[in-house]
Amino acid sequence: MIGPTGTFEAELAAAVGPEHVERVDHAGGAGSPGSPGGPGQWRVRPGSAAEVAEVIRRARAHRAAVHPVGAAGRPPPSVPEGEPRPRVLVSTRRLDQVLQLDETSLLVHAQAGLTGLELERVLAPRGLSVGDYPPVVLTSSLGGILAVRTPGKSSARHGFFEEAVVSVSAVLADGRTVHTRAAPRRATGPDLARVLCGSEGTIGFITSAVLRIHLRPEARLVAAYVLPSVDAAVSAIYLALREEAAPSGMRIYDAAEAARHFDGLSLPPGHALLCAATAGPTDLAACDRDLIASAVAAEGGAATDPALADLWWRRLHAGEPTPGPAPTLQVTATPSKVRAVYHAMVGALAAAGAAGRAHISRFDADGAVLFVTIDEAEPAAAAERLAAVERAAVAAGGWLLGARAHKLDPYLRALREVLDPDRIMNPGALA
Amino acid sequence: MHAAIDPDRLQRELEAIVGPRRVSLRSVDLDTYARDMWPRLLLAHRDGIPPAHRPHAVAWPEHVREIVAIVRLARELRVPIVPYGGGSGVCGGAVPLHGGISLDMKRMQQVRAMRDTELVCDVEAGLSGERFERELGRRGYTFGHFPSSIYCSTVGGWLATRAAGQLSTKYGKVEDRVAGLSLVTGRGDVIETDGPSRALRGPSWTQLVLGSEGTLGVITSARLRVAPAPQLRVYRGFETPDIETGVAAIRRVLQRGLRPAVVRLYDELDTLMNSLSSHDEPGAPEPDPHRAPVPPVETGALPAWPEPPAPEERGVIARLRRLANASTLKREAMHAALGRSHLVNRLAGTVADKLARRGCRMIIGLEGARIRTEIEAALTFAELEAAGARDKGEEPGWDWLRHRYAVSYRMSPMFRDGAFVDTMEVAASWERLLDLYHSVREAIGRHAVVMAHFSHAYPDGCSIYFTFAGTAPEAAAAERVYDAIWRDGLEAATRVGGTISHHHGVGLLKAAYMAGEHREAMAIFEAAKASLDPDGILNPGKMGLRDRMRGQFQP
Repeated sequence: MIGPTGTFEAELAAAVGPEHVERVDHAGGAGSPGSPGGPGQWRVRPGSAAEVAEVIRRARAHRAAVHPVGAAGRPPPSVPEGEPRPRVLVSTRRLDQVLQLDETSLLVHAQAGLTGLELERVLAPRGLSVGDYPPVVLTSSLGGILAVRTPGKSSARHGFFEEAVVSVSAVLADGRTVHTRAAPRRATGPDLARVLCGSEGTIGFITSAVLRIHLRPEARLVAAYVLPSVDAAVSAIYLALREEAAPSGMRIYDAAEAARHFDGLSLPPGHALLCAATAGPTDLAACDRDLIASAVAAEGGAATDPALADLWWRRLHAGEPTPGPAPTLQVTATPSKVRAVYHAMVGALAAAGAAGRAHISRFDADGAVLFVTIDEAEPAAAAERLAAVERAAVAAGGWLLGARAHKLDPYLRALREVLDPDRIMNPGALA
Repeated sequence: MHAAIDPDRLQRELEAIVGPRRVSLRSVDLDTYARDMWPRLLLAHRDGIPPAHRPHAVAWPEHVREIVAIVRLARELRVPIVPYGGGSGVCGGAVPLHGGISLDMKRMQQVRAMRDTELVCDVEAGLSGERFERELGRRGYTFGHFPSSIYCSTVGGWLATRAAGQLSTKYGKVEDRVAGLSLVTGRGDVIETDGPSRALRGPSWTQLVLGSEGTLGVITSARLRVAPAPQLRVYRGFETPDIETGVAAIRRVLQRGLRPAVVRLYDELDTLMNSLSSHDEPGAPEPDPHRAPVPPVETGALPAWPEPPAPEERGVIARLRRLANASTLKREAMHAALGRSHLVNRLAGTVADKLARRGCRMIIGLEGARIRTEIEAALTFAELEAAGARDKGEEPGWDWLRHRYAVSYRMSPMFRDGAFVDTMEVAASWERLLDLYHSVREAIGRHAVVMAHFSHAYPDGCSIYFTFAGTAPEAAAAERVYDAIWRDGLEAATRVGGTISHHHGVGLLKAAYMAGEHREAMAIFEAAKASLDPDGILNPGKMGLRDRMRGQFQP
């Protein structure tokens, strides 16, 4: 039953306060629910989990779609085919509180709208840290980081971001709030928090999470090395990881990327630059640095100007600008495929007569992420070139950002059907 | 409404799938598959009471396609399927509550591939844990998963219950080491939950299926993360004046980013029992170094108490010594000891207090790559000493390592003699851990002799392993005491914010406590069940899920 839009707006205003509801006609482009004559589109900013639940209950009564919006403000998925429905963009911006900080167990219970960096600013003065995740990941709100699974939310030292999740609170389509129970580990059925993570708001609307945090490291060391090839650099990294080094960050630049990122740096053709940061108790940070240095030596490389590593680290963590443009595509590959995927992409670029460069980062036991930048002379051919590079990457065993396991789609649909028969929870996502 | 199962048809159809040699409807087999190692069932078994729930048939599939066909058959006939690994579960998870087909996975035991560069091993679910570790050892790797059941449990059983090994502090629990699973769902499809887990969008199907104890699918194989075999092992014993100091010391080590392979802290009674027990009694199997993944070390003497006990303590010590060496314990003496559990708990506390001015025993071990382990060990031991723990040298550490599988074999003599023994493994964050310890200990102590050790430590918390022993004049009374222990113990754990199981799983034993454990979030588990097993044929009646087979059959 779809009531008049005026009623719905009044109900939303009653749920979150009129100052936190606005009708938005522009978002979503032509044909969106907000355009003139459409069923209506609102942006609401609930200030508590209870308000989120109330918004979702109201939306369900009106069969309105609920789309979570985090700090990145990513546009909601396009409107699925079928009957036009009202739409509520639910911003987590006001869910920005640290609910509990347990310094004994190193756990923080934080609301979904807080960004990783905001949380880090709360923790830092207390000698605590979210962990050595790539800062670019931490610019998103926690709800967004948890709801969307992407490669790269990972560090060799602290693992995959989702592994830091101890419990999640979320609102289901029927307005019920679930709190998965916190425990260091358990054997009481599936990890229900990990089912909510990655579900992109389709199973539940994440309102807060309990995360494992860390003591700030006693020491942090950075170093830079030059190796005879990208392959040698990749080998050195996995050699060091096998010796159980757990660095907080590592990045390989190919020669073209190194020249672009480090003004005036000229590596011999085919060579690679490796920057590495280690952290922890001083002895361990030094141990890990030395393990990496030994692995580099074994692969025919040698240390180079540490100022390069300092600059790399400052860019990552102190906001110093990185020379643009942003990488054109990101591809992830497992450890045995990283080299082949790199060569396939660079080869495809050369075959298309284009210039390009790459860096490889976010190494862990699962693999790494390759960032490729295509230097475009004529934008007309850009799409074709990109497609050619993507095809080459996939053929070599890489995975493009946002790939899906489609064989499981019927199961996800059936699961959603049980919890959300009216399909109000972020319809269009993961579809 | 009770539907009848036509055993002849079931046999015919199963034989058409797996052949006549891998199906059985013989009574002796149905009896065997009626239970696992849940101590409550052992009580009935000991007293000669026939099993309440038997399967209608047992099948031993060898191929995924056979399992697919069996699931489709079970859907058609609407009979349950209960996956069965080593049968070593201690919660009744493999009990065929509504009969049906017990699916013994142990003929699927191939190591399918070892991908060295990925450090991933693809292995079938029915492989025995000990054989898996031996196969990896031959190739220079370890899975790092050493439950005390390693000789009688399977890889699939570990995955289905979220098991933990003794070295989990370094290697993680089994769910931390899974790159992907293959399973046959209740719809009869084969699905794989991997791909590079971090790149694929959508919820984690791997983390959904792990721990589902056969209620969401039959796990047929898994891609597991392995580690290079350790180049160095360092084990030591420490002692702390009390558990509070010990717990704080362990927390400091873990939170500094150090990863020992094992940390165990025994409370006063557990420390005392450990010191009194003799490892070289007849009947306790000595691990074979060629089969068991233990380092070659020579056998040494057990650590002795430095001072002789005072005369008034001798009686209690003698009684406890008999308890600790159950196989030599006379039936009467044991009942006398266990029948007054309050007294023993209290006396043991007092005696342990006095006797063990030396406090609580701690075992700590590190292993791994040579250089990093050396450095981590030095940092770890220094941290422990700074936190007030006293170094007792290497011997207690190696001694633990040598005998770490022996304890499981020690329980059966007590059962034989009319007592019961079980263990309750709960966990909580560091902030709540001592609350959890005192609350659960008090709750169990109302009914039985109880001791505990802290093991499986994480930066954010730790698990506690309670061992309790009780007795009653006859089986029904023993069951009542047993049930009361679990009720009071688990309620205490939930009340202080702990989990009801760290690694043994749920099965039948803890099914009634799942609602308290997960509350509204059970709705998500139920939705997953409806999706993966729409007819409710997979291991029905377990884990607190809605039982769609209830009242269907009279086994």
